Amino acid sequence: MRTFLGGVIAALTMAATPVLADYPEREIQGIIQWGAGGSTDVVSRAVTPHAEEVLGQRVIMQNVTGGVGAIGLNQAERAAADGYTLLFGAENPLLYKVMGLGQKDYSDFIPINVLARGVPIIVTRPDAPFDTFPELIAYIEENPGELRFGSTGPGGLPSVVTAMINEKTPIDVTAVPYDGDGPALTALQGGAVDVMPAVLGAAIEAIRAGNLKPIAIFDEERVPQLPDTPAITETNPEFADLLPWGPFFGIFVKQGTPDDVVAKLTEAFQAGAQNPDFLALMDGRGFRMLSLSGAEAQDFLDTWQRQTAWILHDAEIAKNSPEEFGIERP
Amino acid sequence: MDILPNLLMPLTHLDLLALIAAGTFAGIYVGAIPGLSVTMAVSILISFTFSWDVYPALALMIGIYMGGVYGGSRTAILLNIPGAPSAIATALDGFPLAQKGRAGEAIGIVTVVSFIGGFIGIFALAGLAPVLSDFALRFQPRDFMLLAIMGILLVGSLSGGSLTKGVFAGALGIGIGAVGMDPLTVQDRFVFGLDELRGGISFVAVMIGMFGVSEALMQLHNVHTPAVRQKIDGIVPSWAKVRKHLPLGLQSSAIGTVVGALPGTGGDIASLMAYDQAKRVTRNPETPFGEGAVEGLVAPEAANNAAVGGAFIPMMTLGIPGDAVTAIMIGALFIHGLNPGPMLMIEQPNMFWFIVGSLALANCFMLLFGLTGIRLFVKVVELPRTILLPVILVLSIVGAYAINNSLTDVYWMLGFGVLGYFMRLYGYPLAPVILGVILSRLLDDNWRRAIISTREDFGAMLMGIFTSPLSLTLLLAVVMILVTNSPWWARWRGR
Repeated sequence: MRTFLGGVIAALTMAATPVLADYPEREIQGIIQWGAGGSTDVVSRAVTPHAEEVLGQRVIMQNVTGGVGAIGLNQAERAAADGYTLLFGAENPLLYKVMGLGQKDYSDFIPINVLARGVPIIVTRPDAPFDTFPELIAYIEENPGELRFGSTGPGGLPSVVTAMINEKTPIDVTAVPYDGDGPALTALQGGAVDVMPAVLGAAIEAIRAGNLKPIAIFDEERVPQLPDTPAITETNPEFADLLPWGPFFGIFVKQGTPDDVVAKLTEAFQAGAQNPDFLALMDGRGFRMLSLSGAEAQDFLDTWQRQTAWILHDAEIAKNSPEEFGIERP
Repeated sequence: MDILPNLLMPLTHLDLLALIAAGTFAGIYVGAIPGLSVTMAVSILISFTFSWDVYPALALMIGIYMGGVYGGSRTAILLNIPGAPSAIATALDGFPLAQKGRAGEAIGIVTVVSFIGGFIGIFALAGLAPVLSDFALRFQPRDFMLLAIMGILLVGSLSGGSLTKGVFAGALGIGIGAVGMDPLTVQDRFVFGLDELRGGISFVAVMIGMFGVSEALMQLHNVHTPAVRQKIDGIVPSWAKVRKHLPLGLQSSAIGTVVGALPGTGGDIASLMAYDQAKRVTRNPETPFGEGAVEGLVAPEAANNAAVGGAFIPMMTLGIPGDAVTAIMIGALFIHGLNPGPMLMIEQPNMFWFIVGSLALANCFMLLFGLTGIRLFVKVVELPRTILLPVILVLSIVGAYAINNSLTDVYWMLGFGVLGYFMRLYGYPLAPVILGVILSRLLDDNWRRAIISTREDFGAMLMGIFTSPLSLTLLLAVVMILVTNSPWWARWRGR
């Protein structure tokens, strides 16, 4: 592995222009939008040491939490556009404008690397009287208002997935909000809610232990971690136009950062994202690697924002119309 | 399954032994300094131990956790400034003892009961983990709501002189806790369009201000009065004394273990509940509560250390954190390539027994370091106030800044310091404020979750309470607490 990384470093150094040698001269500050121990935190702290090897400088990681991540984002946006402040964030900022949570989002930043995407999965308790997605829908139609869906508040993954389901088949369920998917999945196991659209990584261990039953992977294809659980498009192909969709993690710098600095950071995190240890960690947590940068990353962000903002708008969850911010309907 | 080698692994590997010792030692000081919290130390360690093997990393974190929970009592007793929220109740009786020159004795008994409490929690983890985590899972939103109501009733025993003032202080705390974006609806509450308020007011900042700064301001009144000379004999409590308090210690440890095992509640609530329980069951304390009752030290300190083992129960059996520190440790396990969850205990039982062994060892080191450093430590109180007070202020500011690396927290801390000073001046108790802040979200969120779950049908929610044995028991406990504290009950008993 050392030699592999050494090779990467050598290749990068050769590709580098003389100006690049200047950056980074000192330690870089990394702002993590979410708290210690959460998914964003784990992913950010796992990829960074590998990128540090390429950068040749330490990245001092710091959790700046609160306001659904807006406080960390604003702090990174207030810093100078010199590449010495990195933002480690998740998908939430792309919804700040429509949810009325702030005026800033990733359009004020340049994506360095959109690392990976989470796969949503619909889970329930093992004793639930339905095993597949069509059975779940049939059960809801026979027992309107009876099922409680775990939620993480408006704009969170469960609310978006529930809105997507509602767009195809209106369902009469009660959403019970929790502080995050961890507490909501706990409530699901304890019987306080009945069904939960969650990110695969958060539910996988409870599924493996038989404490939770998977209904469907909310994606176009099955996942290797749960080969027997069907993708939702297998039973309900009408979802294909909404998928793939999922939460993601990325690394950003402020808009206006010099191109050579962006290039250096991009190379460093591209290398970090290829590290086998990191890949193993992401695989274990059920994430799909993306490692997008440049125009590809920008495209990904724009598409994600357009799609999700309009789904939330149509479900009357959003406070502001996406149109106000020039977010076009997909 | 090789339980024994894994259980003894921290003892047989010199490097692990040294790391646990170092962690526990550091933890005592991290815990003792207001504002430096165990949560903070453990999250820093995640980065620091990234390239290490998983065992040494865990050993260090466990040491810090165990030492830190105990360390909070030090400054609570010596300076009336709880080093951590879980030591708030300790200050109520610990500081009066220090003012009588008995700080050494107070720290001695606290160390011993923390050790006992720690072991009860560890035994529960080793022997009852699956049973207790099953029980903890069964808590529904309405049960957490009832638990929070039980907590709110503690205002009664934390108020001291005037219940009215206590209720006012508790309500203020609940109001402070309500500030910030509500995660259930993403609505701003009391935010006034300020981004800094979206995340709420850090309750550690409130605590440092109310207890640290206001105490320093208070002591300025008699800055030139010579400090109380501290007796330095009788630090290690006699066996007779330990035995006298053992039943209360065990009872409090049980409270600590269960409350610690519940996801979302931890040592802070456990220690306050244990304090209240101690007040109710202790018939004739040698010294009245609030003036230096040893029972008022035993209960919270046994409970908060028992909560450590308790917090590991849902973490090890289900991959669900029991409190903020275990939440970070779960992240650490992920980073080290493990997948904490129900399968961890089945696929890697060695990890479980290693953690049990490390906790036990950290608990022993805590006793050792706790009892040996006291003589030096009590000297702190004998320092001239002109030196001590500036040091307290500096530590308060550093601590408040360190919570989130945010200056806003420092301003809040100073503001609440001044408010706390005036509250003290006019005889308002401060502990209910912190209680209110801790319970505000627990009560608010779970009340709404409970009512949302029944589609806003209040009758259905009440039915739920009466048909669930767990909820009914909690409801009866709430009613009992209310009835036994009423004047009619007192009159009836007095007859």
